[in-house]
Parts: sequence; structure tokens; C-alpha cells
Amino acid sequence: MRASLPCPRRRAAAALIAIALIALGGCAATPVQPWERGRLARWDMRWDPDPLRAAMAAHTHFSKEGSNGEIGAAGGGCGCN
Amino acid sequence: MPARMQISASLAALMSAAAALVPEAQAQTTESDARVSYRFNDYSEDALAPGPFFGDAERYRVLSQQFELSTPVAGDRALDVTATHEIMSGSSPWYVVRGAGNRPIQVMSGATIREHRNEVRAAFTQGAGTTSSTTWNASYSIERDYRALALGVERSMPLSEALTLGVGGSFSHDRITPVDAQLFDRIEHASKNTASLFGSLAFVLDRNSVLQTGLQLNAEHGYLSDPYKLVDVGDAIVDDTRPDRRGAAAWLVRYRRAFGADSAALHLDYRYAQDSWGVVSHTLEAAWYQALPRQWRIVPSLRYYSQQQARFYAPFFLDPGAHNTFSSDYRLGTFGALSATIDARKRLGRWEFSAGVERYHAATGYAIGGSDAPVPGVVSYTRAFIGLDYLLQ
Amino acid sequence: MTPARERLDLHLVRFNAMGCPCALQLEGEADAIARAAAAAQSEVARLDAKYSHYRDDSLVARIGAVADAGASIDVDDETADLLDFAATLHAQSDGRFDITAGALTKLWDLQSGRVPGGDAIDRARARVGWDRVGWRRPTLTPNVPGLRLDLGGVVKEYAADRAALACRKAGIAHGVVDLGGDLAAIGAHADGTPWRAGIRAPRAADGAIAQIELARGGLATSGDYERVMIVDGRRYSHIVDPRSGYPVESFASVSVAADSCLVAGAAATLGMLLGLDAGYEWLCALGLPFLCIDAQGGARGTLAR
Repeated sequence: MRASLPCPRRRAAAALIAIALIALGGCAATPVQPWERGRLARWDMRWDPDPLRAAMAAHTHFSKEGSNGEIGAAGGGCGCN
Repeated sequence: MPARMQISASLAALMSAAAALVPEAQAQTTESDARVSYRFNDYSEDALAPGPFFGDAERYRVLSQQFELSTPVAGDRALDVTATHEIMSGSSPWYVVRGAGNRPIQVMSGATIREHRNEVRAAFTQGAGTTSSTTWNASYSIERDYRALALGVERSMPLSEALTLGVGGSFSHDRITPVDAQLFDRIEHASKNTASLFGSLAFVLDRNSVLQTGLQLNAEHGYLSDPYKLVDVGDAIVDDTRPDRRGAAAWLVRYRRAFGADSAALHLDYRYAQDSWGVVSHTLEAAWYQALPRQWRIVPSLRYYSQQQARFYAPFFLDPGAHNTFSSDYRLGTFGALSATIDARKRLGRWEFSAGVERYHAATGYAIGGSDAPVPGVVSYTRAFIGLDYLLQ
Repeated sequence: MTPARERLDLHLVRFNAMGCPCALQLEGEADAIARAAAAAQSEVARLDAKYSHYRDDSLVARIGAVADAGASIDVDDETADLLDFAATLHAQSDGRFDITAGALTKLWDLQSGRVPGGDAIDRARARVGWDRVGWRRPTLTPNVPGLRLDLGGVVKEYAADRAALACRKAGIAHGVVDLGGDLAAIGAHADGTPWRAGIRAPRAADGAIAQIELARGGLATSGDYERVMIVDGRRYSHIVDPRSGYPVESFASVSVAADSCLVAGAAATLGMLLGLDAGYEWLCALGLPFLCIDAQGGARGTLAR
């Protein structure tokens, strides 16, 4: 009897994600020169342009939902979840 | 042509010879964020949806204020201090009873007296404004029945011209002393510890776009149940009892794309999380940052959230069976939520005004792979906010 | 939260200095702009007066007098730093970059339209040579009568950086200084976007051969291709190789971007001096963004499209 591979679809998905990440790592095919980085330094291009507002929104969502939404935050600190 | 990853010997010689003449050229010049900020939030939940329930239909209202001071300190260091004050009032879901025909009936707690929560957070950064920085942070939160202390550190390091690595960890210790413990036969005090680690990679894709992907691991240990909630188990009302450990892993992807020289940007965020209680969630957010004439800016955004229930969740339990953990807290149920937010900003000299509103609606039917099993108590709310910022330099 | 930044009003201040048209583009409050413009212009004027090799009252002229008298002179810190910088450039270029070549550059006066005779060139070369100068900080001993300093290729770019610093000190955080085509950024636009500079193609009235975005640092161009002399079909630029006494056979212009206009200008001049092939190789190895335009208008380099 032939044993089937466990969860073939999940493996394929994991492999695809790994390849994508590796490809992205080498993706400086058109390197951005230092003098071209002006746009990337713009306020609206930040990961969190308004950290205070993002923190309040995340705190609200966290206390009404089942997952911790903020990366890097340890606890709720509020007992609201 | 090679990107400037290493300085050639000739360039090093030129630059070191020039250092005495143009010393300011050696420093990294980035926008400084020295400012004072104030935010006010008014969170108000919709009254309980029509359906069977007992108790006060008026749900939760929270008024919060945040104050922040952010200032550079000696060179490339920065200090950021935030204080938050919240006033909470209203009733919340207490437990669910089994009604006729196994229909769940939500029982609400009586409207609470006003509760206050205060929190202070401080973060100290070395290498502020550069891709190579370290931030140490600490926060302390206190309210009548809850205290929490958290410490964390984050480090960011450039791996190449286009790649930045971020790592961090944090730890928190929370302590709860429920109110009216003896009156309601609640535990008198308990604590929990949480440890968290994360790692992220940020890529510069091209001159207009960046991508970040990250992984976070969480571990909680201690008293993780809600002492204010009860569960109907075989028609007996017992305490909300959750496991004393919870492990979680989350993977996120964030994309930022600039359009036009200075006019607009797109933000896309996706997060997948899974934990040892069986809760699986997806979060998808999209925001559009649009600059308008006369220094106005408008940011509409959408958020979709979907959650699969914890293994020990049910509105009520017909009989305990082999289980020893039970919860009917809707926040552990299967549901989805859609929210839309609009945020408007106006800059005037060194001042910036902002105002916005978020409208959030949760429903069992919104969940991916959701069942039609009801989750009593899911919430819809409106959150309005205003903000004021003053630039220090 | 960082407040949404928008562009502030742009002010353009034009003036003349160092023998070329200059401009300041500044964004900010009106009083800060006025202070910055005054400070920048006076700084440029100060450096012009101090290091000009056309003026009789400049420090360079005094050093010339000291050279003729066979004496020594103690120089201030700023001049000492510039001399140290020039010494590095001399070493990096195997002697092609030489600030003591004043006698030669004066000889090749392109306005006259004449090619100097061989004797005149030899006489001028005899009065050139950094390796003959005694330089031990802070004492400069020229040792050679008739030796003249020519700090072109260093001072204008240094002045651009100093003018940008003066603007920053006066409270302007967004702007760019332009001294005859040599640029020093004060800071990006108020909304974070960089300044756009175009490098003009030779013999094209307008139209940029390359565009560069500048948010910090400087951009310098060497070998202004308008300042050439064509005699009997041969092209003579104003960049003279002190070892041969003749202008180099090189690019029409070289532009380099760096963390300071000073370094950018030095790299551009060195690229020019090394000649067509060696210069291009050196600029590639240097690692800074650059553009070389040859006499036919062909463009090469990391900035080229």
C-alpha cells in the first residue's frame, strides 16, 4: 500500500511562501540608490504614520476580539481581554 | 553599477579628509519627530441587538485621552513618553443561559460605576531615525482591579541597502484583584505572565514601495480566565474557566506604496494568527493616504477581521462531558467584523489637527468558514476621535 | 504621530559670487529665509574673498607673496583643513590634482583664444608642484618663487556646503544651495520629497541628460563644457594636468553626488583629471553615483538613463 504524503497542499503552500521570501530577499534587481529614497522617507510611507492612533485602534480591537493584534506588545495591560 | 554597500578605499580617504571641513555631512539627516500630541477617543457600543436578553441593553462606553511627548536627547537618541487615561462605564455580557429550544439568551451585567484606567509608557531609542536603532520600553497600567507592568526591547539592523531586520522581545506581569470578589464568589487575586518575541524583515522593493513581513510568538501563563464572566454548563452556572496557558503565533505582511510625487500612498496589511486554544484569525486592512490642497489630508481605511472559535467556547454547554474548560465569552467565538474609518488632518504651521470616526460591525455570518451557530454578545460600535499635535522643531 | 507635511512656500534668492550665478531655494518662514539668505551669501562672499586667486587682497594672494619672498606663513584651521584635503587629493590622483598649479591655470586663460607656447608652459610648470611645498600644520612654506595656489575644484564646493550649513543654523530645514551648478542640499522639501536636479546635456539648450533627486549631501559638476577653447580643431578645457602642462583630454563634464558637495566636487575633478578611460574606471570603483559626458555628448555612469 502506498502511503500518501501528509497534507500535500499545505506543503506546497509552505514551499511557495519560502520561495517567495527568498526571491524577495534577492529582489534588489533594480537597487534603489541613496539619492532616490526621498519618497520612502515620506510620512505617509511609514509603517505607522500615526502611532498613537494606531495604538488606540489596536487596543480597541484587541479588547473586542480574540487575537493580539500588535506586533511586539506582550500583554494587554488592561485586563480587557 | 554597484549599490553603495561598501565604501571604496578612495572614497573612504576622501571622506575622512573632508570630515574636518564638513562634519555635518557625516551625520544621517532624517526628519525629527519632536512633538507633543493629544488624542481624545469616544468609544460607544451599539445597544444589544434585538433578541432575548436579560439586564441592561446599554453597553459599554469608553472615553480615553492620550498625551504624548516625543523629544530628541543628546545626538541621535530619543525619548518618548505617553500617558493614557480611560473612563469606562456601561454593562457587559455576563453569561448566556440556555433558553427554550436551546436558544441562547444573553444576560448582561448591571451597568458598572465609572472605572478609570491609567497607563504610562516610556520608550528610549538609540539611533533614532536611522535603520540601525535600539528601543527600550516600559509601561505600567493601573485600574481598580488590574495592574500590569511590561518591559520590552526592539532592535533594527540593516542587512543590506534594501533589507532591514527587526527583532524584539517583551515581557509583562499582570495582576488582577476582581471587585466584589466575595459578593460574587470570585477569585480574590491572580496573576499572569506573558512573554513575546518577534522578528521581521523589511524590503525596499523600488523607489516607491516597501514590504515588511514578520513573525510573532507569544506565551501566556497564569490566570487567563475572565473573573467577571460565567458559563451555563448543564444548566449550572459556573465560572468562566480557561486553560492556564496560551501559546500563539502570528504572521504578518505589510505593504506601502507611494503614488505621485507627494500626493498619495496605499497601505495594505494582512495578519494571520493561530493559538493553542484553537482561535484562528485573519485580519486584512487597507488604507489610502490622500493629500489635498491647503495642507489637508484624508485617510479612509477598511478593516476585515475573521475569527474561528476557541475549542472550549460555546454559548452554553449541555453537559460538561470530558471538558474542564468553558467560556461563553463572545470574544472567543466564531465571528467576523468589518470596520470603516475615515480620518481627516489639517496642518497649520507647527500645529496639526485631526479628527475621524470608525464604524465597526461584527456578526457571526462575516466569519470565513463561519457557522450559523449564534455568538451572542458580538459587538458593534462607533469610535470618534480628535487629535492635536504640536511640532517642537 | 508626525504631522502630515506639506510643501511650504518656495523662495528663490539669486546672487553672484565666485564668478558664477548662484541661487538659494529655501522653504520656510519668511524671517528665517531672510536670515538664512543673508548668512549664506555672506559666508560665500567670505570664502570668495579669502581664497580667490583673482583678488589681490585674498589669502591666496598673500601666500603668493610669501612664496616670492621665500618665507613661511602660519594658516588658520580652515585653511589648514583645506590644505590637508588637497594633499589627500594629490595623493589619490598621483599628482594630477595639484592646488599649486595656479601659474599654469592662469596661463591657460581661455578667454584669450590663444594656445600658450611651449616655453611659457615650461616656465609655468617650473613654478608648480605640491610635493615641493613644505606643509606641516599650521606652517606652509611654498619654497618656490612664483608658486601660486589655485583652489578651484575645492573652494566653490566647500562654500556650497558652508552656505547650506549657514541656512540650517538660521533655522531653514528645507532647501538647496546652488553655486554655479554645484549643489548642496539643506534638507528635503517640507513633505519629505527630495529636490530634483537636472544635468544639462552639452550643446543642448535645455533638456536634461539625467535627473537626480537630492535630499541630502551634494552634487558637483566638473569641467563646465561651456568653458572650452577650440583652436585649430583641437579642444582645450580649463582642467590642466600639471604634469604635462596641458589640459587633459577628457570628458566634457563629470557630475558626482556625495554626502557633501566638497567630496562630490573632488571626485568630479579627479574623474576629469584621470582622463576618459582611467577616469571612468576610477569613478566606477569609487562607488558614488556619477555621470560622465564626453565631447560628443555621450553619457555614461550610474546616473545615466
